[in-house]
Amino acid sequence: MTRKYWKGLEELKETPEFLKSKEQEFPSQMSVEDFLSDENLKETSTARRDFLKFLGFSVAAATVAACEAPVTKVIPYVNKPEDVTPGMPTWYASTYYDGQSYASILVKTREGRPIYIKGNKDFGMTNGGTNAQIIASVLGLYDSARLQGPMYSGSETSWKQLDSAVMAGLKSANKVTIVTNTIISPSFKAAVDQLAIAIGATPENGKVNHIQYDAVSYAGMRLANKDNFGAEIIPSYDFAKAKTIVSVGADFLSTWLMPTAFATQYGMRRNPDGDWMSKHFQFESNMSVTGSNADYRGMIKPSEQANVLAYILKAFNVSTGVSTTLSADAAKIADAAVKALKASKGESIVVAGSNNKSVQLLANKLNNVLGAYGTTIDLNEKVNLFKSEDAKMNAFVKDVIGGRASDAVLFLGVNPVYTLSNGKAFGEALKKVKLSISFSSHADETAVHCKYSAPDHHALESWADYNPTTSHFAVAQPTIRPLFNTASALETMLVWAGKASRGGKDSKTAHEFIRSNWQTSPLLTTAEGVADLTNFWNMAVHNSCVTAPQATDAVPLVFADAKIGAVPTASGLEISLYQKTGIGIGAQANNPWLQELPDPMTKVTWDNYITMNPSEMEKGGYVTTYDQEHGLNLATVTVEGASVTLPVYPLPGQAPGTVGIALGYGRGENGEQIGKAAFQTKEYGGYAASEDGKLIPIGANVFRFVQNENGTMAYEVSGSIKKAEGTYSIAATQIHHTVMGRFSIVRETTLDTFTNKDKEAYNPAHMLKKLDKDGNHVERPISEFDLWDAHPVEKIGHRWGMTIDLSSCIGCGSCLIACQSENNVPVVGKDEVRRGREMHWLRIDRYFASEEEAAVGTRKDAETFSFDEAEIAALNPKVVHMPMLCHHCNHAPCETVCPVAATTHSNEGLNQMAYNRCIGTRYCANNCPYKVRRFNWFNYPSYKKFTEVNPAQDDLGRMVLNPDVTVRTRGVMEKCSFCVQRIQAGKLVAKKESRPVMDGDFASACVDACPTNAITVGDWNDLKSMVRSSADDKRSYQALEEVGVRPNIWYKVKVRNEKNDVLDALQVAEGHDAAKGHGNKKKHH
Amino acid sequence: MFRNLKNWCYGTLALVFLAGSFTSHAQGEALFKAKCSSCHQPHKNGTGPKLFKVRQKWADGGAKEGSIYQWVNNWQAAAASDSYAQSVSTWSPTAMSAFPELKKEDINAIMDWVDAQPEPGAAAADGAAPADGMTPADGAAAEEEGFGWIWIILGVIFFTIILAVGGVRRQLNIASSDANGEDVKEGMTYGEEFKTWAWKYRLYVGLGSLVIVISIIVSLFLSLYQIGVIEDYQPSQPIAFPHAIHTGVNGIDCKYCHSSVTKSKSAGIPSVNVCMNCHKQVNGRTPAQQEQIAKVYDAAGWDPSGAGKYIGKVKPIIWNKVHVLPDHVYFNHSQHVVVGGVDCKQCHGDMTKQVETVKVQPVSELNKIEGNIPLTKPTMTMGWCIECHSKKEISLGALDTKKDGYYDEIHRRLLQNKKAKALYGQYLEDGIVSVSELGGWECAKCHY
Repeated sequence: MTRKYWKGLEELKETPEFLKSKEQEFPSQMSVEDFLSDENLKETSTARRDFLKFLGFSVAAATVAACEAPVTKVIPYVNKPEDVTPGMPTWYASTYYDGQSYASILVKTREGRPIYIKGNKDFGMTNGGTNAQIIASVLGLYDSARLQGPMYSGSETSWKQLDSAVMAGLKSANKVTIVTNTIISPSFKAAVDQLAIAIGATPENGKVNHIQYDAVSYAGMRLANKDNFGAEIIPSYDFAKAKTIVSVGADFLSTWLMPTAFATQYGMRRNPDGDWMSKHFQFESNMSVTGSNADYRGMIKPSEQANVLAYILKAFNVSTGVSTTLSADAAKIADAAVKALKASKGESIVVAGSNNKSVQLLANKLNNVLGAYGTTIDLNEKVNLFKSEDAKMNAFVKDVIGGRASDAVLFLGVNPVYTLSNGKAFGEALKKVKLSISFSSHADETAVHCKYSAPDHHALESWADYNPTTSHFAVAQPTIRPLFNTASALETMLVWAGKASRGGKDSKTAHEFIRSNWQTSPLLTTAEGVADLTNFWNMAVHNSCVTAPQATDAVPLVFADAKIGAVPTASGLEISLYQKTGIGIGAQANNPWLQELPDPMTKVTWDNYITMNPSEMEKGGYVTTYDQEHGLNLATVTVEGASVTLPVYPLPGQAPGTVGIALGYGRGENGEQIGKAAFQTKEYGGYAASEDGKLIPIGANVFRFVQNENGTMAYEVSGSIKKAEGTYSIAATQIHHTVMGRFSIVRETTLDTFTNKDKEAYNPAHMLKKLDKDGNHVERPISEFDLWDAHPVEKIGHRWGMTIDLSSCIGCGSCLIACQSENNVPVVGKDEVRRGREMHWLRIDRYFASEEEAAVGTRKDAETFSFDEAEIAALNPKVVHMPMLCHHCNHAPCETVCPVAATTHSNEGLNQMAYNRCIGTRYCANNCPYKVRRFNWFNYPSYKKFTEVNPAQDDLGRMVLNPDVTVRTRGVMEKCSFCVQRIQAGKLVAKKESRPVMDGDFASACVDACPTNAITVGDWNDLKSMVRSSADDKRSYQALEEVGVRPNIWYKVKVRNEKNDVLDALQVAEGHDAAKGHGNKKKHH
Repeated sequence: MFRNLKNWCYGTLALVFLAGSFTSHAQGEALFKAKCSSCHQPHKNGTGPKLFKVRQKWADGGAKEGSIYQWVNNWQAAAASDSYAQSVSTWSPTAMSAFPELKKEDINAIMDWVDAQPEPGAAAADGAAPADGMTPADGAAAEEEGFGWIWIILGVIFFTIILAVGGVRRQLNIASSDANGEDVKEGMTYGEEFKTWAWKYRLYVGLGSLVIVISIIVSLFLSLYQIGVIEDYQPSQPIAFPHAIHTGVNGIDCKYCHSSVTKSKSAGIPSVNVCMNCHKQVNGRTPAQQEQIAKVYDAAGWDPSGAGKYIGKVKPIIWNKVHVLPDHVYFNHSQHVVVGGVDCKQCHGDMTKQVETVKVQPVSELNKIEGNIPLTKPTMTMGWCIECHSKKEISLGALDTKKDGYYDEIHRRLLQNKKAKALYGQYLEDGIVSVSELGGWECAKCHY
């Protein structure tokens, strides 16, 4: 309880800039005079006097215009589709797969427009788990930069012309290479086979060479499994069954393998109220989302991954021939891991993130020793994702560059010019290939080097089927008629194979083909309960998936020991290339929602950067603090001749001697038309341009650093770093919205304390002193102190409430994107975020904690204590992720200060915001203890500064707006509404059915999105509701309870499954003497 | 439209008189409407063939005597026994219903009535369509615009008269001063003269100015209150749709066309396929009607020439929205119609009498609707909503009968709470629960 939590080094050190910025929630560094005297203003077309003239005119014009009722056109359907009711959403079950993420989803459409995606909690192997990229993908549908039809050499052509040219080209070619991402669609595979036969390929002549190539490869894992099990498989992992989880460099909650499924499984076992809680050890170099949730986190260099596994194996008396040297800190955590693993044999899981075969062989060996195969790891249910054939791809790339390539090349779902380390040379060489075709939806890096573009539909426009794991089959159905003259890639393949003809926008080709494949599949249709094929297909589409009878291998896969080859070695600086939760491999780099999603760890938006441990930065002479005016130092990282220059970001927990750089940035280096939001913009709108007039991409592409080691791609490489000239401004949400030094925000305990001690030890009530009637000071709970009369929401009518379990929250940011999508939250761009004007209604505060008790008020040696000492502990701090949104306080401080009563309290406990009343005084935001109110500084849907970043400024991008939520204008406050539109809709359902509101009638967007079910919402006044029992739980507390605002949000104490003597001692002490401790704290604030 | 209605009335009256001359006609008409009219028309093929002089047709075609009556009772039996009936059965794939209950005299009554029906073209030949394309709404707008100009012209005339009179007076003054031998104040301009005059009568001028300024301010404020008030708003429409005929004369329920009113926030403008449910057969009696209905056919891509097929491309009808809410207001029809039990006419007026295109009914009209709470604020303004929400009672009947309903649960919680009396006492005193007392006045009920 008495740990000091801090959100950034600025706060820990209390730099002058930080102290200044924490006084001001909405920093307006520039005064009005400064603004008007700005030289730049003279260059703009509107002078100050003109501005005033316009102002006068527009007021008059608005008054005159408002006198006449506007003529609004309304166009009903000619033939209304049966399942569309104007004004009501229609939901479709579908499946998302983009070569990286896989999830069963539900798509919400309004009047035929998909506007929102959430996980399907009823069907599918991902159990409702999604991630930010999946939720944000709906915006990609309305991307005006998408190719609107087939292209030949950069100019438009027709499908007819393209088809005949391509078909002739493919037939006459000697060798055809099809490069795709991992195809998990059985029907697409069948179509590729049909095409191969149609163009005269036989197994003998090998005319068609199909290469599956993923930007981030898992080939090392498959090769290791081939050595151990005789087949290039990836088995299924079940984190819900694992009592001990050891992850060596695998960010399995965010980017590794199938995070959508893993996060849900993991979440099930992170709730201490369940039967048991898993114990999670993470060894990694970058501070990842997964690492930040671990109970124990060891910092290791990428080259030490093998050592960790060998070290643990040694403890199980297995010798590997691999060095077991570890740093003392890492060894201590490895020892703890060994102890836990020994205690949970057969109930543990070990995963390794490296794409190196030897590291994966070590992980397999350890899993075998632990008895994980057959228990937590299912070898029968194989994962079909990530079948990247690195060696084959490398050979092909060499051939192309060497001019020995195929006559025809097809690219589907891949962008090798961007994702290959030698992509540039590959792209140039590609021009020499006789026939090159790209299926990409954009004229991206690869497509611009291809002769033909046959743009595929967006995923929400097309039929597809998937087979993600052995027995799981899924369907994706279209949710909108194709917007452009694009064609399903499946149809295109069939047309080229001569098996179908073009059907235009209403084509049924893909649907018919998939359906007939399914209805004739013996595996699917012989299952129990399949009586009627039409029903079978209809149910499959309705549920989006079916599970085939569990297939067991004819010859069971048995672990066989294999020789462990050379393990990765490194010299100099080790660089770990990682994926960010939002951007991933950069496929959606043009998605402004994802660009503006603060990274879960660094809270930086719109950029990639070099992450380095702050202690090392100080040694290297880099600045470790930054704010809106002061940028970070730039540095140049060089790997094998390739180099990038990026700002150096201080990230506690980064292993010393290593840096991390995110992949997926630097898209559109040559100005390729990959989307409006993919490029850097200027301060007053418009694109920034380099000296030669090119658009400047966001961040830098570090796929250039990927090395080919023994036939697999290595994402952990060695190189060097050199400080470069200049600084770079970074837009982070980290140093804004400080917690004002208060301690009662995050509560944390250990599992031991939680199970063995009573509530007072880890979740004491806040007490204040007051005089009793005899004149004695007595401790009374906060609830007895009040300025106001009780607000009539308790026990009367509804009282909407929410609980957020800090134990389950992994900080992934999905809720934030879901909220943005549901509530039309504007995108404001890097420059505005830098000024602290981001608009997200929900933010996730990431607090670093240190073992060092640094809070002045609770130390005896406060006089002599130096904050600098806390930095040592900050080397590898514990992390708490805390979603922060409007608390809908029943004694809301914002409501009392509003001069125009624009924000008021409803009798259902909601803090309402009437935008039309608001005059923008911002008093409410000043008075909000949680700092969750957002002010519309500009008219984001029309002001030129936001043309490039705000999708609402685009006729097409506007289609994604939720028609049930007002688009706010300039000068008004906004904030989380608890998704009041959904509350109203849920109540209406109950009213129409003449029954009370029940759990499930209402779920806010954040609840929909949460993969770990950390958030519960409902009617607190309903004694049977889930939210009531959750709020009454002994782990529940309210943030800043002592302020007495009576919020409707409860947090639940974070429980770590760790041994922490310091924390235990402190908390026991507090349990005995809680009042005193808190009394001390109060005094100092 | 009024003129059309008149024609309608004449036509109907004529028919009534004609029909009245034969008692059986009345019976025939009733039977036709009850049994036949959903598929048959006198002069037009529909789902079934036209029935005008059908007995003659069968006789001419060589049908057996009485075969037609057997056909009506059970067409299959007739088709089996008579070759002409057999040929008739192939007219359409849609089978005719059997009417065993109709006696021969009933059938004859029907046929007599049908045969007495005049050809629609003949009856409607004198039904002149409005000569110009201008709808009443257009006319009203033009008229209003004209008024504006009249005021301006009048103003200019008055101003000129004042100047002229002033000039004459001045000249007279100068002349009289001259005549009296006084010093003529040459060079005194109009302005100076006015100043002198104003100073002389400063009390009156001051008071007068004050009155003028105050009245300008007041009228400005009053006119500001009118911004966004769209009472009486009656935009022109691409099709002169008469609600009076559809819901008044024909008695079609509002919800038949505005079907999403019970499901969705929007009542829905019927899609053209809903129009075609009836208009496939009903193509209008007068040229004016036919002209309007032809627009529906055009939109639906229906060939009205008798082929009875959808041919051409569909073309959506672009209506002008009448009831327009600003974007920041959320209004849900189903909440009001299903949960609140509000009848359509309570807000939209009596559409059975709406002969012209739809307009926003002024509140004075709405107050005449039976059962409506008298309101004072203009229709479609927030004041209007608020006023109704404060007066409208939540039906307590629902609370009594369904003990597990939504409002029962809310009521129960209220009763169980000891504090409730103190907090809600003021609401409970009058014994009624109004919408506003349950939170119907709260911002986030409509604004989010």
